[in-house]
Amino acid sequence: MIRSVIKTTLPILFGFLPLGIAFGILFQELGYPWYFATLMGICVYAGAAQFMAVGMLGAGVGLFEIAISTFFLNSRDLFYGLALLNSFGAWGLRKFYLIFGLTDETYALMTTLTVPKEFNRERYYFLMTLFSQCYWVLGCSIGALASSSLDFNTEGMDFAATALFTVLLIEQWLKVRKPLPFVVAFVSSCIALILFFQHMLLAAIVLSITTIIILRFIKSKQND
Amino acid sequence: MTDISYLLLVMLVMTVATYATRLTPFVLFSRGQERALINFIAKNTPPMIMTILVIYMLKGVNYLSFEGVYTFIALLVTVVFHLYKRNALLSIIAGTTVYMVAVQM
Repeated sequence: MIRSVIKTTLPILFGFLPLGIAFGILFQELGYPWYFATLMGICVYAGAAQFMAVGMLGAGVGLFEIAISTFFLNSRDLFYGLALLNSFGAWGLRKFYLIFGLTDETYALMTTLTVPKEFNRERYYFLMTLFSQCYWVLGCSIGALASSSLDFNTEGMDFAATALFTVLLIEQWLKVRKPLPFVVAFVSSCIALILFFQHMLLAAIVLSITTIIILRFIKSKQND
Repeated sequence: MTDISYLLLVMLVMTVATYATRLTPFVLFSRGQERALINFIAKNTPPMIMTILVIYMLKGVNYLSFEGVYTFIALLVTVVFHLYKRNALLSIIAGTTVYMVAVQM
């Protein structure tokens, strides 16, 4: 199972490691000891929010503002959970951890790939989440610890995230085979890009879910 | 300016705020009310969010520079590899390698 999980999460490694390193380098410039970057990767574990925090920590922003910004920046996770409500098994420590470790990348993998039949799904998801977080924590630590002596040029490695989502988009298409959700999402994204370039991600998610619910409502009215 | 207690408080606040966003749907919809609508949303969000994530990743690219050309080529390699072999890891490694080699040249 471990070998299979590593193979499945390898794209996440390529995405998280350079991103974590970039975070560690930025964080270390604030002047805190390196292990706080590690700690942040362990307890906050949110890419975009951690980058935002570097700026806010530097500016000494108030806690309330940080809490609100973090919540809104991560609020797309509210919708991620909806697709996985029945996938994480019974309430318990494992489920709490699976929810804690729900990121763009793990969400994308879990909703698209099928767990090999021979493995228990919740255990498989647990290891996927754990490994992904380890990659992230490793990246944060390396970046903060060895920013000056890093030899390997990771420039461009972050393309792995784009490639991962692209592959999963193809897989979604092969699985769903209905153009409607893709078209709705595409149009919503275009509108969100024009109106809310900075917050495009959340705006597009809210817009597309609202649209598809309205379309369903109209359809059911017509059938009455 | 290395105020450790401020940093620790910030981390605590961020941990709680992040966890709150991830936990909320599981707590709200754990008792199976509104099943039909929730199932409908659950079924449709993955294809929609994957579409949005791809566009989101591509939104910062400057399409009038070499970056745009490299991104286009790397995407093409990823897609072609995937349609041809259907091996996710292989497609991602191929696309990323092409991109890394291109930008580091």
